[in-house]
Parts: sequence; C-alpha cells; structure tokens
Amino acid sequence: MTASNYSGVAGLMHEEPLLFEHAHEKATSISLPGVTTPLSDELAAFSRTKKANIPGLSEPEAVRHFVRLSQWNHSIETGFYPLGSCTMKYNPRANEQVVRLPGLAHVHPDQPVESVQGLLALLFELQNWLGEITGLPYVTLQPAAGAQGEWTGLMMIRAALESRGESHRNKVLVPDSAHGTNPASAALCGMQTVELKSLANGRVDLEELKANLDENVAALMLTNPNTTGMFESDIAEICELVHQAGGFVYGDGANLNALVGIAKPGDMGIDCLHINVHKTFSTPHGGGGPGGGPVVVNESLAPFLPTPRIVKNKDAYRIIHSDESSIGPVLGSIGQVGVLLRAAAYIAAFGKDHLHKIAEDAVLNANYILARLKGAYHVPFEGICKHECLLTDEIQNRHGIKTLDIAKQLIDLGFHPMTVYFPLVVHGAMLIEPTESESRETIDAFCDAMLEIAKACEEGDTEALHAAPVRSIRSRLDETAAARTPVLVWKED
Amino acid sequence: MRFLPHTDADRSAMLDTIGVSDMRELFADIPAGFHHEPGSLDLPDALSEAAIVRKFTQASDKNRHAGNSSCFLGGGTYHHFIPAVVDYVISRGEFLTAYTPYQPEIAQGTLQTLFEFQTMIARLLGMDVSNASMYDAATSVAEAALMARRVKRRDRVVIAGSVNPRYRAVTHNYLSHLGGETIVVDNSGFSTDVEKVCANIDEATACVIVQYPDFYGSVYDLTEIRSRCDETGALMIVAFSDATAFALIKPPGEYGADIVVGSGQALGIPMGFGGPHLGLFTCTQKLLRQMPGRVCGMTTDANGKRGFVLTLSTREQHIRREKATSNICSNQGLMCTAAATYMTLMGDAGLKTVAENSAAALQMLVSNLPVDVKAADGVHYNETVLSFKDQAHRDTLLAKAGKEAIFAGIPLENLNSAAEPRHLLIATTEMTEAEDVSRYLKLLEAAQ
Repeated sequence: MTASNYSGVAGLMHEEPLLFEHAHEKATSISLPGVTTPLSDELAAFSRTKKANIPGLSEPEAVRHFVRLSQWNHSIETGFYPLGSCTMKYNPRANEQVVRLPGLAHVHPDQPVESVQGLLALLFELQNWLGEITGLPYVTLQPAAGAQGEWTGLMMIRAALESRGESHRNKVLVPDSAHGTNPASAALCGMQTVELKSLANGRVDLEELKANLDENVAALMLTNPNTTGMFESDIAEICELVHQAGGFVYGDGANLNALVGIAKPGDMGIDCLHINVHKTFSTPHGGGGPGGGPVVVNESLAPFLPTPRIVKNKDAYRIIHSDESSIGPVLGSIGQVGVLLRAAAYIAAFGKDHLHKIAEDAVLNANYILARLKGAYHVPFEGICKHECLLTDEIQNRHGIKTLDIAKQLIDLGFHPMTVYFPLVVHGAMLIEPTESESRETIDAFCDAMLEIAKACEEGDTEALHAAPVRSIRSRLDETAAARTPVLVWKED
Repeated sequence: MRFLPHTDADRSAMLDTIGVSDMRELFADIPAGFHHEPGSLDLPDALSEAAIVRKFTQASDKNRHAGNSSCFLGGGTYHHFIPAVVDYVISRGEFLTAYTPYQPEIAQGTLQTLFEFQTMIARLLGMDVSNASMYDAATSVAEAALMARRVKRRDRVVIAGSVNPRYRAVTHNYLSHLGGETIVVDNSGFSTDVEKVCANIDEATACVIVQYPDFYGSVYDLTEIRSRCDETGALMIVAFSDATAFALIKPPGEYGADIVVGSGQALGIPMGFGGPHLGLFTCTQKLLRQMPGRVCGMTTDANGKRGFVLTLSTREQHIRREKATSNICSNQGLMCTAAATYMTLMGDAGLKTVAENSAAALQMLVSNLPVDVKAADGVHYNETVLSFKDQAHRDTLLAKAGKEAIFAGIPLENLNSAAEPRHLLIATTEMTEAEDVSRYLKLLEAAQ
C-alpha cells in the first residue's frame, strides 16, 4: 500500500546512545547547597567500598539526552491514542501549573495539620465531588491506582462480611471479559475467583450468575460498561440478585468515562467502585503512572474505609490516623496527592454545567467510529456501544492479516494502535476508545486509515502490513529474546 | 467547553452518520430511571482557567511549605534539592502524556529511560536488577514480603520493629488474608536489636525485613543478619527511606541482601504531601522471575538495531490473572523519569555531596544540643530522634518553632502510637544550611 500520511508525523529519525555510553569521567557539574563540615569517623566506617558508577552529565548534555529520548515517544500531545479501556484524553496544562504551586508541591505529609489547611480543603472537596458524581458518598482518596483500588474495595468487603460473622464467604465472581487486575486483586485478598461466561451478546449471563450465587459468594466484580464497550442493561437485576444472595457488588470504574454526569453507579446498586482518575479525570499517564484509584462506597461499607482519612470539624480539617473498624492504610501516605489535585482541577473546569458532555462526546465518537468501520471490520456485538467500540480481525484473517499487523500498520500511518487482543472473549480483539478530546477531523483521519488497511487486505496488497512498522525509530522488536535472556541493566564490558 | 473540540454542527453530522436522531439515543441502553438531567449534579459551576488558577493559588497560599520554612521533617519523605531540569523533563508532553509502553516501536523514549533508571537504581543499591517501580516504599516492602513467600514457599515473615511503622502497617494489611505468621521484633531503644532479630529467624521463615538506615536513622552492620539468613534459608529484605544514603554508606547489596526496597522520593521528587512518590524494587539476578511489576529489557528489532521492551510479562496480571506475581498494573513511570534525570545530573560525585551535606547538617545539630535534649545513641545518617524532658518541654519547642517558620520534627507518637509523647523524629538534607541549624539550636535553648 502507499505510504499515505494521515497525521503529519512520519517518524523522527535520530539515534541517541545510552547515557552510560555518553559518560566520561568528569568533575561534577552540579552546584549544591548545605553544610560541608567533615563527617564523623563513626559514619565514615560505614562508607561504601565500590563506586556506584552513576555517570554525571553536564546540564546541557543531560537536557539534550532526555529531550531526544522524549522525541521517540508517541504521546497524547503528539497524536491520536485510542487505547481501549485506557481513556487517553487530553491532559490540561493548567493542571500541571497549579500542582507545582509551592504550597501544594513542597509540603510534607507530617507537617502540622494547621499549616496545610488549604491543601486539605481541596482534597476534602474532591472527596465530596467524587461521591456526588458516582452516587457513592463515602470516599477514600488513598489507593495509588485502579488495581490497588480493587484490592482496597475487596478488603473492605471482607471486613464487612467478617463483621457480620460471614467470614466463610470468599468467592468472587468475575465475568470473563474483566480486566486481569480483577482476579489478581481477589487472589491478593485470599479470595477464590470464579469466572462467569458472557452471553453471545457480550453481556453478563443472568442464568450463569444465578447458578454461581451461593452462601459462599463475597462479591461480584463488574465493569460497566463492560470491556466489550457494551452497557450491562440488566444492571439493576444483577445487583439485586447478588444482594439477595448476601454478596456485594464491586464496580470496576475503569470505564466511568461513559457515564460521568449522565448516570451514577451508586443508583444502580453498585456498593463499591474505584475511580481511575488518570482515565476519567484526565491526570497524565506519565508513561505508566502515577495513577490514582480513589474508592467510593455506600453506607454498608463506610465504616471500613482505610485510614488516614480527612474529616472536617466546623471550618478546620483534620486527619484521622486510625479507627477501630477501618481496614487500615493501603499506602504509605494519604494518596497520590499531586495526581488527585489535577483531577480536582479537571472537575472544576467542567463543573455541573458541562460534566455530562464528557460522556456524551466520548460515546458519540466511539459510535461514529463503529458506524464508519462496520462492514470493513467484523463487529462481534451489535448495537450502540458506549465510550469504546470492539472490532475483530475476522475479515482480515481471510487474507492472512491479523490484529497485530493492523496495529503495526497504524504506527506507520501516524496513529497509536488501539488496545489489541483484549478483551479475551473474542478472537483478535481491537478495542478502540477515542475519548471526547478528539476532533472530528482526527477521528475521520483514523477511520480513513483503518479503511485503507481493510481495502489493502481485500486487494491482497498485504506486504506492507507484514513489514510494518517501517517508519518508526525501531521496527518490530524481538520480545521472545528479551524474555528468554533478560537484560535489565547495562553492563560496561 | 474548552477541552471539547466538536461544534454542534460536528455533533449533528456525526449523529447522522451513526443513524440516531439525538445524543440521548446513544444512552438508551441505560435504563431511563438512572438518567440524571444534564446540569443537575450537586457540583459547583464550571470555572474558567483563570478562576482555577486563582482558587489553587489561594489554597497554596494558606499552607506553609519547605520553600518558606526550615524543614527538619523526615520519616520517609525528605526535602532534597531538585534541579529545574528534572521538572522540565517530566513536563515534556512526550513523557507526561504517554501510556505504558505497550507498543515499543513508538515508546523507545520511555523504555530507554526506564532501562537507564533500572541500571542506575541497581548500581546505587548494589543489586543485580531493578524493576520499573512500585507505587511507594510501603507497598514495595509489602510486595517484597509476598515475593519472598512465593520464592521460599514458606509463610513466616519476620519484620524488625525499627522498620517505618507505615511500611509495617501496609505490609501487615497485604499479608492479612493470606495465612501464615508475621512476627514483629521489638527494638532496643531507638535502634534495631540485631541479636533479637536474628533469634527470631528460623527454618520456617520466608524472609526477614529490616530497615537500613532504620526508621530512627540508625546505621548498623547487617553482617550477622546475612549469616543467620544463610543458616536458615530465609531471604534478607532490606528497606530504606532515603536513597541518597547509599551514595555515602555501604548499600544493602554490599551486605548480600536478596531484595532491597524503599523510596526513591529523595531522588528528584517533591514531597507533595505524600505523593506521588516512587517505590523502588531491586533483587538478585536469581530471583528476577518472581519480581512484581513492570520490567524493561534490552533486545533488538527486525533490522538488528538495539531497542527496549517491557518484558517477563508472563508474571503479570493481564496474562496470568489470579496466578500473577502481583495485581499491580500501573507503576510510577513519570517518577522513574524524574529519578533518572536527577541521577544523570548528579552522577556519583553529586550524589555523594548530597549525602555528605545531609549527614553533616545532622552532626552539626546533634553535637551542639543543650544538655536537656538528647539525641538517640548510635551512628546516624541524616535522621535521628531527639528526646525532651517531658511532653511540655517538647511542645513548648514545637509552639515556638511554629511561630518561627521551622518544621522542628515529627512527634514520634504520630507515627508510632506506642511512643512516649516527648520525642521528635528529625531529619536534615543538603537543603539544611548552617543557618537553619543555628536557628533550631537557638529555639532549643529558648524552650528550656
């Protein structure tokens, strides 16, 4: 196929050595403050015997090294990033500015509480907003990420069951479309996972659910909309069934972007939900983190929220460090505060007037992509989707092309690929989440690229697809070799 | 709304393409009873960018901070110098707004940086390998305990009472529903009781967890603990709070530690009221396939060029689900970039100066204390405990310090409820100038 250029990006080709290859013995270039009197002999007796061998670069060299490396990354600021279930939306720059204010950035977690009231007020307000948005009014900001939120929620559910004298309940039901973190978090709580098979339409099978609800069920973990992009319309009945069986419903909030400002999980019967603020509330993903995973719950789980916890007495904010029924701390601090503050700034920018427009435009964009690509690509589950749409490579398979090839060809066409091979409930999954941040122009360009790939397959013009990517700084990398003989650190010979 | 690019004309054209008449039809699969009217949530009105900046600036102005105060606070979070370049690099959109590097061909920037980070962290701690970070020190310690249980197929964990109480509490939580036994070994005063720790390690023990320098800042010899681990087959896990220490003192790797975990916050990351910080996780080559979290490895591409990928993913939750080594998915990627940039600017020499000046400030303070204030015995890096006559004496100091914009230390009972309320945990860094030490000493004199 022709090397069309949809996005204006054609790969920035420059090489940059490892900083260890740059390094040469030199005087330290950094100037440092402080006390420079000689150290005691007692401490000197513990001196390290071998040099760490950390190369120092001068400031201009270091800046150039990292700026050059940065240019080898695709990012939201450089292009479309439609990773399904990841919600790669625009990260407002004002949020970066405000979290760097000295009274928010350079405060110590153990400084006197009177000296940090401004910050506590912002966090307390965020708690209230998250409670209102989800309909689950009791909030902990502590969990560091979604997976930790899941574990925190399950720990609270365990504590609630124990308080009822039902500690024998240790079964967690998880649909087969769930994120891998769900069963992994359940295992970390010492609970048994039972996988529920989805219906042919990608949704929870009520009969399968009923068959697995017994006196040992602690919880159902449910992502809604689920990871096929479909809303579980039976949600009220699902929750009622689980409650009748004496279990709790845990909501995986990874897909909250489809509901924000439109509908509240708490209204539907969800007892406990984590919120990925790095998804729905636009805190930057940072190449893997930091994230933030606040957990919101209803009254049944409120006594078990982790400590420390922020409370308000009259006009003063206090931090409660322990209480009897709490599950205790899940992180060494009150939370990923800088991340949480960005989320607060984001919600403040939308306010009550505009918050629902996030979900509206996100869902509009996903359905628009679905409408443009169906026919050319196999759509496993019919109907309106929510904030992400699911395709498979079934049609392209006939021409020897698989999801991986399509993904790699997208790189050459200037787009980050969608999430591939997840969810596991279909073969060759391509999960596309455009988010609300993207213009129609960008989305059309992406659809055009996808259609061109489909056309190339139909016409048997697949050579480029197998070779892709050829326009990126590196072509396909040998992941098998990397895992067989792991080289995780640099060694000078 | 300034973050939404569509015009109403775009929206209606797109709805046409989809074949629905209005936006609400896209939400028809959500039962009508659950719909909220747009604008009906109990939230404030939307704020302009200018109004948000004003709101956060006012909040910031209400707080005291390390920029306008002398900071003697530690306990796991330290006020070290951060070169401007660090914040510049992590503000680059290409690092800031990228995802986990699942498509390595267009994520070599993040991946090479992670490889450099892993290399420098392993070298600083004297260990073979590092992962690409955990959430924070407390969760790193907990994950280390879980890893030791997997490796040894034993479920007894021994943890010194001189490990940061927050690390212990989180570890206790992580282990609480997994069966087995967790033994906490009492301290001797404000230092680690090495003999007692050794006495608690037996043939059923998966691991011993000690902190070095310990929670009270005490530096001590780990040789005996290593020997006892060798005798019993237990893994030796060493935790730490301030990574700069190991530019000066013998790193845990030199004592033969199996797993070394702790905080990388001191390496170019602001205190930020507790987060986001950086959990460091390193181990020996032998154990690497049981490590939790993301790991970056070197490989080649189809053209034979060197490149980097996330590797060993068969340990992880998205492949192994309930059998994964951990449930962790995200890491603290951007904080790794910060730490890598920081270490690159510092080099061995800069890091050593940071460590020396941090320790020198503490020694200057401790060697000039008034007679009725005692510092903890033993050898200390940049942290120690000051003991006062009684609570009134200490609280007089804290009240005076509050008026003089000095953060004079953390009341020990805030971190460890068993402690008598007459101690302060104090820490110094290279940001502590001789003048700060003099001001603190004057306050101590005045509080008598």
